[in-house]
Amino acid sequence: MYLWKAWQDSRTRVVVYILAALCVGGLSGLQVVSYANYHLQQMATPPRWLARLSWNFYMLITFEALGAWVIPYAKVAALLAGLSLGASGVGGEYGAGTMPFVLTRPAPRRNLLFTDWAIGLTAIVIVVGSLAFCVFPFLCYARAQGPGNVLIALPGLWVWAAAIYGLASFTTLVAGSASKGLVLSAAVVLTYGFLPDALHSWWHVEALLKARDWTLQIFNGGWDVFFNGASVQFHWGAIAFWLAVAAGFLGASVAWIQYREL
Amino acid sequence: MNDLAIHTGGLQKFFEKTHAVDGLDLNVPRGAVYAFLGRNGAGKTTTIKTLLGLVRPTGGSAQVLGYDIGRDLIAILERTGFVPENKTLFDSLTPAQMVRFNQGYFPKWSRERVACYADLFEIPMDTRFARLSLGNKTKVCHLLALCQGADLLILDEPTAGLDPVMTDLLLRVLVEDHVSEGKTVFLSSHQITEVERIADWVGIIEKGRILLETRLEEIRKNYRLVRAAAGSPPAVSSPDLVAAQRMDNFWSYLVSRGAEEFAAMLSAKGITILEISPVSLGEVFLGLTRKEVPCISGKPGKIPVPA
Repeated sequence: MYLWKAWQDSRTRVVVYILAALCVGGLSGLQVVSYANYHLQQMATPPRWLARLSWNFYMLITFEALGAWVIPYAKVAALLAGLSLGASGVGGEYGAGTMPFVLTRPAPRRNLLFTDWAIGLTAIVIVVGSLAFCVFPFLCYARAQGPGNVLIALPGLWVWAAAIYGLASFTTLVAGSASKGLVLSAAVVLTYGFLPDALHSWWHVEALLKARDWTLQIFNGGWDVFFNGASVQFHWGAIAFWLAVAAGFLGASVAWIQYREL
Repeated sequence: MNDLAIHTGGLQKFFEKTHAVDGLDLNVPRGAVYAFLGRNGAGKTTTIKTLLGLVRPTGGSAQVLGYDIGRDLIAILERTGFVPENKTLFDSLTPAQMVRFNQGYFPKWSRERVACYADLFEIPMDTRFARLSLGNKTKVCHLLALCQGADLLILDEPTAGLDPVMTDLLLRVLVEDHVSEGKTVFLSSHQITEVERIADWVGIIEKGRILLETRLEEIRKNYRLVRAAAGSPPAVSSPDLVAAQRMDNFWSYLVSRGAEEFAAMLSAKGITILEISPVSLGEVFLGLTRKEVPCISGKPGKIPVPA
């Protein structure tokens, strides 16, 4: 039923995203291994503290560097996947003029959204995951220690993408058109990214900047390990925040589709 | 079981300043073909949308197949086939895929009917919906509605884009395959001559209110047009007078019954009766809903208020 229709609409896009993610992930993996090798070769006389460390630790540094390379790509992939899949969901039926047909099928309206979200979030998990998981061959090649450290960023990326998906899905429902929803949600993302910086620069408002940076901890890469010897953090608070944002958009979308008239 | 497929009592739907439906009382008997007629903007589509839960009523009540539209919408939708006014379905899917999408919603879905009607209506089942002509899009909408085993079919402009042959075929299918099984057809259309062929009940709506709700047989049997010659507006009063219209020195009176008595009353006032003739549904519709505009001669065609 609508699950099948939603998959029909999304499948081509999802396959293309997965292929793109695999390519980008593979290339970034290659890049990082080259980068690590270059560092090792440059260090003809490594510092004494570094020389005492094992080969595996070098590899750990490599993995963290890998995280630093992959995460920016994954961030973009999550953003694009979230925006485009969210805007192509059930809200797009308004603009296409098919909503009277969809809403006169005998099914609770909220089920339409749950179905849509199930497909959308599954696609996001696969797309974003494939970008990160495709570095595994490189980890295995290096016989690495602690490959999970790289993957620790994944839950954060997933919930962030889910929140973006929710935003795009909600704005599309409200605007009644996929293109308008996409533009609106992109505007919200940009505002979220730049407004705190602007307010800080113009009026020295720090609260928003701090709040935004706290929520974006999920993107903190592994460079802390390289420079400070810090352990990799799992940012529960920020993950819970983005999860709550996604759930909030789902709730708002359900309320909207339930009460909006045609 | 309720004898009415659709019943509304004082149904209202207001959009800010517009009273799209304004105290509508509708009684659609089960097993009937009910023609729901009205001018553009009379409130037909809003009424249909209200019955199907696409808009919420501002006031009044409505039951479809005995179910309340506010509480039992899913039960109504399971038993109601709907062909929307705009005939828009999923552009990316073929009719065959749309059948696959649709059949899961309806327990009484008939695959045999899909095969039968796809063949009968000559629907290209493997062409994407976006590439179909308006006529074929209309046919696909009908295919989906006809095959779901609905007890009630709500058809908004059902013949839009159909050629005369296909229109004839569709009307026959509606009567022979559905009404004959005791199912109800509620159709909203501007094609009065087509509607007249199959309807047995008619409801005429204007400004959100029912002006006339009666059997078509009643119109054929009792409604008459009394044409009279009179220079000045005659003061006439009759509960059977439905509408009157002036064309220069001639008057046309639409009466719902007792045309002979009505003509005799006019004659008694010195008015010359020219003819008493049966009326078509189109004439009744025009008589009830005709807009007050200057006649071609430039003189206003005023309808006198019955004294």
